[in-house]
Amino acid sequence: MTASVHRDVSTAAPTPDVLRDLLTTMWRIRAFEERVGALKRADEVHGLIHLSIGGEGVAAAVCRQLRDGDAVYSGHRAHGHAVAKGTPLDRTMAELMGREGGLCSGMGGSMHLVDVAHGFLGATGVVGGNIPLALGSALAAKQRGTDAVAVVFFGDGAVQAGLFTESVNLATLWRLPVLLVCENNGFAEFTPRSAHTTVERVSDVVAPYPLPRTTVDGNEVGEVWSAFSELLARARAGEGPALLECLTHRLRGHYEGDPDRYREAVSTEDWQRKDPILRLQRAGHDAGWLAADEPAALEAAARAEVDEAVAWARSSPFPAVARAAALVESGGAR
Amino acid sequence: MSTNSQDRVEMFRTMVRIREFEERVKRTFAEHPGVIRGHTHLADGAEASIVGSIAAIRPGDQVMATYRCHGYPIALGTDTTAMLAEIYGRSNGLCGGYGGSMHLADPERGFLGTSGIVGQSIPQATGAAYAAQIRRAGDVVLCFFGDGASKQGAFHESLNIASLWKLPIVFVMENNSYSVSVRVEQEDANAAAGEPLATKAKAYSMPGVTIDGGDPDVVYETVAEAVSRARAGEGPTLVESLVYRLSAHGNSIAPPGVPLHYPEHEAVTVFGDVAEYEAAKRGDPVPRFRGALVTGGVLDAARADAIVAEAADEMQRAVDGALAGPEPEPADALRFVHA
Amino acid sequence: MAREITYIAAIMEGIHQEMSRDEDVLLIGQSVGGSPEDPFVAAFGPDRVRVTPISETAEIGMAAGAALAGKRPVVDCTMAEFLLVAMDQVVNEANRFHYMSGGRVTAPLVLKAGYGFTAGWAGQHTGSIYGMFMGVPGLKVALPSTPADAKGLMATAIRDDNPVLFLHHYLLTLETGDVPEGEHLVPFGQAAIVRPGTDVTLVATGWTVHRALEAAEELAADGVSVEVIDPRTIAPLDVDTVLASVERTGRLVLVDQATRHASVSAIIAAEVAEAGFASLRAPIVQVTALDAPIAYSKPMEDFVLPDVAKIVAGVRRAVDVTLPHDAATAVR
Ligand SMILES: Cc1ncc(C[n+]2csc(CCOP(=O)(O)OP(=O)(O)O)c2C)c(N)n1
Ligand SMILES: [Mg+2]
Repeated sequence: MTASVHRDVSTAAPTPDVLRDLLTTMWRIRAFEERVGALKRADEVHGLIHLSIGGEGVAAAVCRQLRDGDAVYSGHRAHGHAVAKGTPLDRTMAELMGREGGLCSGMGGSMHLVDVAHGFLGATGVVGGNIPLALGSALAAKQRGTDAVAVVFFGDGAVQAGLFTESVNLATLWRLPVLLVCENNGFAEFTPRSAHTTVERVSDVVAPYPLPRTTVDGNEVGEVWSAFSELLARARAGEGPALLECLTHRLRGHYEGDPDRYREAVSTEDWQRKDPILRLQRAGHDAGWLAADEPAALEAAARAEVDEAVAWARSSPFPAVARAAALVESGGAR
Repeated sequence: MSTNSQDRVEMFRTMVRIREFEERVKRTFAEHPGVIRGHTHLADGAEASIVGSIAAIRPGDQVMATYRCHGYPIALGTDTTAMLAEIYGRSNGLCGGYGGSMHLADPERGFLGTSGIVGQSIPQATGAAYAAQIRRAGDVVLCFFGDGASKQGAFHESLNIASLWKLPIVFVMENNSYSVSVRVEQEDANAAAGEPLATKAKAYSMPGVTIDGGDPDVVYETVAEAVSRARAGEGPTLVESLVYRLSAHGNSIAPPGVPLHYPEHEAVTVFGDVAEYEAAKRGDPVPRFRGALVTGGVLDAARADAIVAEAADEMQRAVDGALAGPEPEPADALRFVHA
Repeated sequence: MAREITYIAAIMEGIHQEMSRDEDVLLIGQSVGGSPEDPFVAAFGPDRVRVTPISETAEIGMAAGAALAGKRPVVDCTMAEFLLVAMDQVVNEANRFHYMSGGRVTAPLVLKAGYGFTAGWAGQHTGSIYGMFMGVPGLKVALPSTPADAKGLMATAIRDDNPVLFLHHYLLTLETGDVPEGEHLVPFGQAAIVRPGTDVTLVATGWTVHRALEAAEELAADGVSVEVIDPRTIAPLDVDTVLASVERTGRLVLVDQATRHASVSAIIAAEVAEAGFASLRAPIVQVTALDAPIAYSKPMEDFVLPDVAKIVAGVRRAVDVTLPHDAATAVR
């Protein structure tokens, strides 16, 4: 199959201010997730944890262009998207630690983060299940007559699920303001994409459908930002859905603790080249908008913020156990 | 690939037999009220597509289809009395009265069965093709479904795997432009954009072709080529066969006691588009093929009339045999729950 | 000859042996056969062992179709919840074919799926959802609780001519036990009395069998003799063994990790209430999960699940009561 990179849209480059903001966000995600990994090993975070280390660029470039009123859906690898969308680090961390103060009072955990106030409508753990949900939010926004959009993040593995095509057809047919953002890391769990499909590029999977599709290097934050900003503008203007495929790389295993035997470990050198943070910093230095000492400061600030978040989360009690049987149904009715 | 005169006459005969069978199903509602329960779906209008497709396979090949399933077994040689008896719920029915109109199966003739749920037989046919691939006898599976089914996730999942595994299967989408009373451009982004539904094949890197499903020669040639690709291990093909269903989606749906009947086509009842329906009638594939055969000197009118008369006799015998068939024993309802 | 192996190894051994015995047996799924070194690929080749995309409807639908065409596929569905994506194929297709065709076709296939992973997997990956499947005609459901049963039920499932849902409990994955080496078949519909007793009948499945045994041990110290029964398959369900036991003990406690209203225990309770009422000397007690999803945070997760203490309390409740009708009989 063709390995071409589609560009259905023209692009405008982000300004240095935007890039600095993206870098800050990426550092917050990186620091947060590295800490989550450590807490998982220390058993302060339990359950199944998927990290997105190496994928911060996509989360930042997409979510930082959105408003609270735009809905974001994510999947099993959700922390970065949530943080980039604005969920507070302390309450997000508290959720991962199963505390009362968590975003969902400890009831959801890593794969089920929800923060309505910040438009993070949620992560779901069943692959592909979030895609039609985003269509629903987009439909609601359209019917309310707002220019809000819905964004759904999913992996390349979700594209082979029936829900994907059902959703692409409907989103296109109804011109829904939904942006389908695929993070193609070439792997679904432990299986390379070539064992799942003959079609290498996700953007080619939607080729039959009349919607714009773009494939970008997901580790090149500016590129993601530009491509997404075009598609976003179209969606806000009522021109319908689009697919943005970001080629990314999973630095960690599929989940924390994954023995990761199926893939050659990324050589450090290779990673230095790919790491979206290092890349943006190098670009910033070269272009002159990033001072030499800024990265260290951003990193330190992010880590300090995460330290505070962890301390806050630790101070939050575990939820009252009886809560487990409450909330099964909503008390409301109309 | 092409058919000789004798094959073409046989194709015509099968088309006529299917048409006559479906007419008798329809007439049963008026002539023998209450004999058919539940829901039937007719293949009238799709005869050329069915017959042309099935002419392209050989014994050992297999077929799976949907609830609109009367045509395929006839083309495969299933006894029409047993089929009609099944539709009448009699114990001499093809499936002993357990299945009914939507669930005909005749595994000995390669008709593995159907699903009454839209799109769900597509993965099943794909699985049969997987079995055929590893049996290595060169067998191929024909998978029939409608345009609406291509909106089901099962379609997407199955075509992807069939292409990935190079399975010996031909996906024949009978696009009759309607899902019950919804027109295809109301539910399909490709159709809405004026594109053929075969465009969808692009997503699976498999060939997709759109053909006139009213012409059995064209259908035969196209499907035969796809079948030989599949047999040669070159993988699946999506054939979009354009047909027009000449009856309503199915008989009326009503509580027990209310007589059932066949309403008019949705083009008329829902869209008030009498012209569309009249045009479709004029393009009816059965007289069209008869005309082609007669004009081409392959068949004379007397012989064609004889074929029609023979089919009418056969189906009268089927009706009689089915009506004479005993009702099943009530307690047999507990048989076959498990194999 | 038996030797100790893990529950999961026993399952895979059962599949392996059946694949060696019958070349129509296939193994497909998202987590099998991904590499040439995979032991199943190495033994049986890529024709019979294939990794699939994340396409549950197609995986299960294909298994049904391959089964109609003479194969006996085993689909490794990983987690039971993923079946829900393909619910139609599970409860409304393969299981119906034999019947609808008046016996003309069969669809022998096995859906292997893990369940009950109450280890912080939260709301969508921890359910004990067998209640949704056990009342579906044409579908059989096995719930092994020991490595030996896991192997034996798997082998039986593969040989069965019907679709079988083989649900293995995730918390038992690495538990070990004696497992016969060669061919080992455990019949469907035959409960096992895993601990004989005289005072009370305790029925449990999967992981809760072991909790029930612990509870029985604890109660024995207090002089309460508990009979523990594991139905092993819940469709077909061996009600007779339970009834016979209740006839002897007069008391029934049912343990189930499923939510109360979708549990096997509710079904058994109804059967015994109808057919064994005269034997009962106390009301039936059900120790089930509460009717709630599984929360992520551990204290809440524990709260909704049955455990040894809850089972012990349930048994005490059953033992402490004597029904009036029974008292009357006793006086007469
Ligand atoms: C319907 C469903 N099937 C299977 C799984 C198990 N599963 C969890 S993550 C995953 C891989 C998803 O791959 P991809 O979409 O590429 O995302 P990535 O993990 O690579 O980011 C699978 C198969 C699931 N959660 N849901
Ligand atoms: Mg991936």
